Amino acid sequence: MRLPDRVTGSFLVVLGAAAAYGGWLLPPVPGQPVGPNVFPLVIGSGLALCGLAITFGIGSTFEEEEEIIPIEGGAVRPPPGKLYGLRALLPPALLLFYVAVADRLGFIITAALIVYATATALGARWKLALPLAVLAPIGIHLIFSKLLRVPLPIGLLPMPW
Amino acid sequence: MLNTLMEAFALISTWEVIIALLAASVYGLVIGSLPGLSATMATALLVPVTFYLSPIAAIATIVAASTMAIFSGDIPGALLRIPGTPASAAYADEAYAMTRKGEAELALGAGVWFSAVGGIAGTLSLMILAPPLAEVALSFSTFEYFWLAFLGLMCATLVARSSPVKAIAAMFIGLLVACVGIENPGGVPRFTFGFTDLFGGIEPIPALVGVFAVAQVMRAMLTPEPPPIPKRKFGSIMAGQWKLTRKYNVQMTRGNIIGIIIGVLPGAGADMAAWVSYAMSKRFSKEPEKFGTGHVEGLVEAGASNNASIASGWVPSLLFGIPGDTIAAIAIGVLYMKGLNPGPTLFTEKASSMYAIYLMFIIANLLMIPLGIVMIRLASHVLRAPRSSIMPVIMLCCAVGSFAIGNNMFGVVTVATFGIIGYVMEANGYPVAAMVLGVVMGTMVEQAFVTSLIKSDGSILPFFERPISAILAALAIGAVIWPVVLWLWQRLKRKSPAATPAG
Repeated sequence: MRLPDRVTGSFLVVLGAAAAYGGWLLPPVPGQPVGPNVFPLVIGSGLALCGLAITFGIGSTFEEEEEIIPIEGGAVRPPPGKLYGLRALLPPALLLFYVAVADRLGFIITAALIVYATATALGARWKLALPLAVLAPIGIHLIFSKLLRVPLPIGLLPMPW
Repeated sequence: MLNTLMEAFALISTWEVIIALLAASVYGLVIGSLPGLSATMATALLVPVTFYLSPIAAIATIVAASTMAIFSGDIPGALLRIPGTPASAAYADEAYAMTRKGEAELALGAGVWFSAVGGIAGTLSLMILAPPLAEVALSFSTFEYFWLAFLGLMCATLVARSSPVKAIAAMFIGLLVACVGIENPGGVPRFTFGFTDLFGGIEPIPALVGVFAVAQVMRAMLTPEPPPIPKRKFGSIMAGQWKLTRKYNVQMTRGNIIGIIIGVLPGAGADMAAWVSYAMSKRFSKEPEKFGTGHVEGLVEAGASNNASIASGWVPSLLFGIPGDTIAAIAIGVLYMKGLNPGPTLFTEKASSMYAIYLMFIIANLLMIPLGIVMIRLASHVLRAPRSSIMPVIMLCCAVGSFAIGNNMFGVVTVATFGIIGYVMEANGYPVAAMVLGVVMGTMVEQAFVTSLIKSDGSILPFFERPISAILAALAIGAVIWPVVLWLWQRLKRKSPAATPAG
């Protein structure tokens, strides 16, 4: 997801300005010259200035293109379609899915779904993904819930320990 | 002194610490050797586990895991030409060239041996540098802390391998993240937008896990899987290492020193140390033409360098709470949680704990030699594990680990959000390490800044009056002006050849 510097720079200008304005609105501490408003003001202005510089391409000459080491005999890359880049959003989406349903379905079931989805997305066949989806949540549950006593949501499928 | 040392021995010779150290070592070796899983990520995923350990055992796991991971990143670098961690990227080509020449044992052996030597050199620097610096730091006021923090933040941006403007922007984003919450000079909710979850601020640890682990899984979604490693039998791994040590004595020492210096600089860590040392090795070598064709010299210097930086990165972390690198940034979070708040008083009040940290570094580096050899022999099996079976487990660890930090679901939301932020930043050339530094140091920077402003009553003179603070201020301002000078100079240089023919 390589965006032009103009786009990221302008975004930073807006973000910085918003932060500075938000800081400026904060109530000062009575009787003191500086309060919680000073720091966001400084940071926000700095960020906005950097954003401006980036928008106008200052400092871009220092950038080194990352050397991509070609992989010998590696898998052939599938032709990237229009929606191919959106695959990257799967991990955070799955984490939010966990937040949304873990309390109702319980840890084991939610975790199994996440593992299956991630493994399949990375190209695993069901022969690998299915056992992994069964074993990995149980293993993690054993470590975190049993050994470390993290109160993981029980939901529909309580574990015997 | 001897008493403290005995106490430190007693602290680390409990079963809990020994088991934690061993388990974390194996964990670090495995994670470090898997391409795409970095040492920082290994450490970040370990943090939730450290909650449930005693302070010393918690630090033991971090020390062991980070030390081992930096070495074992060399393994896939040498065998597959894919660095296991970014710290091995500098010399992965060289090591792979050696493997193709049939010198895999020598390359991997040099990895183990010079990593251990470098690690111990780094530990010595920590032992020698930190206590006297603590003496000096005891007399620091908020002005010195302000400049120190400022300098630290600027260093992070100078050494980044991207545009300094973007690095500074990334650092500001980090500081802005640290602004959220009610922990500010006025005690008012700041940037919380009415969400009670944000009142406590954004926890650094889930943010770090998101930036380093989730973002990595996201990248894996779009990159092809690395090929499996060919099976091979290894000869003796340590053979010839002593000869190398004698032959490349100077290079090794230089690597150690560079590693220590880069480790101490805030924000610059093992990967930077390896790049700089490899480049230096080539620059000063008597036979630079051999570099790139499978020549061990650069490996010696860079391998010694990246491990030295790991230990010395703890110097500013323990003294000032300014992380020397991203791993130390995580370590600082753990130190605070365990009641070992970084600061010069650590070395006077909790001296035995400090000695325990030194001892653990030395033990971890010695342990690296046997465990590393075993790991190299097993590498072809470990590296056979397909990515599609490791990444899902990482995802679960991210979800559970971030939940465990506060036992609330907001941590998981934080992880997901920072995964996206980290991914987008990295893809657009904004160094993530600079942002992490901002997140970790934000509260401290603000406190030092605002308290200093209150004390000085609006005048800026007191910021320069005290001798040490004047020196630090000069350095900090120099650090700000330097990129500008560099930029102008580059512009002039580019203009002048164009101007000469015309004129």
